[in-house]
Amino acid sequence: MKLPHFLRDSPANWILRILVGGAFIVAGVLKIASPDKFAGDISNYRLVPHIFINLVAILLPWVEVIAGLVVLTGPWVRAGAAVILAMTVMFFTAITSALARGLNIECGCFGTVGGKHIGLVNLAIDSALLCLSALLVRRSKD
Amino acid sequence: MRKSIERGLIIVLAGMALGTVGNLVSPKGIPFFTPPKQIPKADEFLSLDKAKNFWESGSSVFLDAREPEDYKAGHIGNALNLPAMAFERHFGEVAPILSPESKIVVYCDGTECELSHRLASQLKQTGYTNVHMLFNGMTAWREAGLPTAQGGTP
Repeated sequence: MKLPHFLRDSPANWILRILVGGAFIVAGVLKIASPDKFAGDISNYRLVPHIFINLVAILLPWVEVIAGLVVLTGPWVRAGAAVILAMTVMFFTAITSALARGLNIECGCFGTVGGKHIGLVNLAIDSALLCLSALLVRRSKD
Repeated sequence: MRKSIERGLIIVLAGMALGTVGNLVSPKGIPFFTPPKQIPKADEFLSLDKAKNFWESGSSVFLDAREPEDYKAGHIGNALNLPAMAFERHFGEVAPILSPESKIVVYCDGTECELSHRLASQLKQTGYTNVHMLFNGMTAWREAGLPTAQGGTP
């Protein structure tokens, strides 16, 4: 029996899928576990209009989890990676803006990974995920 | 390309739909739209002098609204930690020493920190009416050379 093409991926693509998909599943699940905490983290960035903070805190983590699962399991790996790429660009902008404004806040990205307060480590992790998801968009067949 | 965009949109919409349902059924669900900020009234803020008097007389309970790690790194002497972001989890730890009439001073750190506002509202909703906020809490206290402590809850 012939496996579908998303299961017959190259080893390099599998590594990319596990790294990118896994990271977003973990990040999403951590946020889903504490929506009020995540809402507080979003509020600290002062980028989202106050009334929509909870809505973003409720919806964004699930989009992260679903996109992560799609990338990990397929099909539609390219589309899932593109959604993750868009999110990493958005996070990159938010973190850079917070650092430029000198905000001493929590990242709200992966719990307390990368330190308690937002810093270059968070920017580096996000940049790495941005590059890996861009690579996955380019290399995926569907 | 077009197919990928369509699929991407389906992924986003599926995530949003699951998020909506998840929030409705989860015991940790929050309101979909953020309730308006409760702007503290001027008389809810405590001057540093008054806070110092309260502290010296021992007539009030000081509550640090920040995360436990920040509390451990340095807090107002004898203050207890009740993180505003995990109120329900930690309230039981301080509840035994509070009565509805207790004079409570809440603080966080920095002029833009909103944790003390949040904790003050949560305490008021729980039934405590005599709650005051110390503006620019930890920084103001430390800069005035008033007693601080480090480590866990005394």
